[in-house]
Amino acid sequence: MKRSKSVKLVAMGTGLLLIAACDEAKVDTALFESVDQCTGLGFSKQECTTNYKNAQQTHIVAAPKYTSRLDCEADFGAEKCEKAPQRTTSGGSVFMPLMAGYLMGNMMSGSGRGQPLYRSAGEAGTFRTADNKAVGSKIGRTQVAKSAAATPTTKTRTTSRGGFGKNARSSMRRSFGG
Amino acid sequence: MERIPVEPREDWRETAEVHGFQFHTPDDELYWDESVYYRLTLEQIERDLENPTEELEQLCFQVVERALTDETVLMRLGIPEYFWDYITGSWRSQERNLYGRMDFAYSGNGPAKLLEYNADTPTALYESSIFQWVWLEQAIERDLIPRESDQFNSIHEALTQAWSSLEIKDVLHLACCKDTAEDEGTVEYMADCARQGGAETRLIYIEDIGINTKGQFTDLQDTPIETMFKLYPWEWMMSEEFSERIPGSNVRFIEPGWKAILSNKGLLPLLWEMFEGHPNLLPAYFDGDPAATALEGNYVRKPLFSREGANIEFFEGGEQTINIDGDYGAEGHIVQALNPLPHFNGNYPMIGSWLVASQPCGICIREDATLVTGDDARFVPHIILG
Repeated sequence: MKRSKSVKLVAMGTGLLLIAACDEAKVDTALFESVDQCTGLGFSKQECTTNYKNAQQTHIVAAPKYTSRLDCEADFGAEKCEKAPQRTTSGGSVFMPLMAGYLMGNMMSGSGRGQPLYRSAGEAGTFRTADNKAVGSKIGRTQVAKSAAATPTTKTRTTSRGGFGKNARSSMRRSFGG
Repeated sequence: MERIPVEPREDWRETAEVHGFQFHTPDDELYWDESVYYRLTLEQIERDLENPTEELEQLCFQVVERALTDETVLMRLGIPEYFWDYITGSWRSQERNLYGRMDFAYSGNGPAKLLEYNADTPTALYESSIFQWVWLEQAIERDLIPRESDQFNSIHEALTQAWSSLEIKDVLHLACCKDTAEDEGTVEYMADCARQGGAETRLIYIEDIGINTKGQFTDLQDTPIETMFKLYPWEWMMSEEFSERIPGSNVRFIEPGWKAILSNKGLLPLLWEMFEGHPNLLPAYFDGDPAATALEGNYVRKPLFSREGANIEFFEGGEQTINIDGDYGAEGHIVQALNPLPHFNGNYPMIGSWLVASQPCGICIREDATLVTGDDARFVPHIILG
């Protein structure tokens, strides 16, 4: 036979040939808006505080960064952004969303590596990590995908956009392949 | 090779949409056409298309080797000098390639002739790989075609396998231009294959790519891009505002930089220069080469970079007979011996032969009512029988 034995798509369309995506491994964790909520659910005061402080520190480096408050608020909602301590190379202000909560670090190892969570304007009920991964909407113990629980990337500010695509703008086609 | 009319499945449009094939009838003009199919024999497929594709790929690698040791070649290809070291590096460090499509003129008799190689941003992938396959399965099931029909099409299996062997550890970004439904479909399909291969994927528009203070390319969340599949031609990547940032960005590009040598029509005269007389090659020369007189006025003139038939000119007996409009050509031209596509009942099919990870794995046939296969060509399925 010179053809594929089967063709499987995991996300395009919803047809007969589709199979469900394999579930990624999950880790036990918990998410909170405050240290009080955390201790209220039976975690030790020290565990809650360390995770919260670590999340605040990570927030500074990992939160998405904007050079305009309006752009930031467009993504996270009115008055949901703050000035970041960073500056642009020309000395301008940098903005980032307010930390809306935190995700506890590895519960098994007892590490204090909590990470910040955010709520986007379009979907305010859902907590998202600094890498824009949804982790749930309910306060308390939960399970999240292993990749979402990983330490978020440091956001080095984007200084310019739109440096690719000029050739495409100069012609009107439905495809730029050949 | 035969062109055979067949009953279209009455529900094919719904089936197309269910399977995520959205651009089957762009601008109200039929693109997917299953009122007809081509039948080839297994011998025609293997001897005349599959084997030559594999062999030509190896010859192409020799052209790359030569280009990287002979700067006059890169100059003739119109590749900016700034990128010579970058391209050399991508080849020497064996950055792997994913896919490509060689286009052939083939009538069923005699050797298939290579018209060009879309080695960088080939399209018509999804319909070749998935929808053509679905048609075959359903057409057999509904007795529209003989039960024992097969198809040269293991593209999907090859792609998912290739993505998993690319071993992408970080997030894979997939980029195409805004407002191009067909390209978005292709990129979404690629993302699907890559996810099956274990990658985590994010889509981004080429126009939205940013650069950060460390010289890394970023997505809209400011996340640095580590690996990027780009459905955007290398020659454009190399001629825009961010071009000079490419070498320092440390992005692993798919296709890799060295594909810029093969996706260039200058490949055709280089192949002819090195392997003159090869049965699957047509005589070809860089425009202005005195040796081109060997074509005796019967040739096709093509820009080094051109897509979907734009800026193609035909000459017969030295007279221009066809001239297609377009925005390409400023960078130079090649001339290639005139070898018109065969015609079947007033239609001119061109055979695209797919390679994944440099292995032939399927074909697609696009039919045009004219000798130049443009972006209004129709995609027609094929079967293997006999």
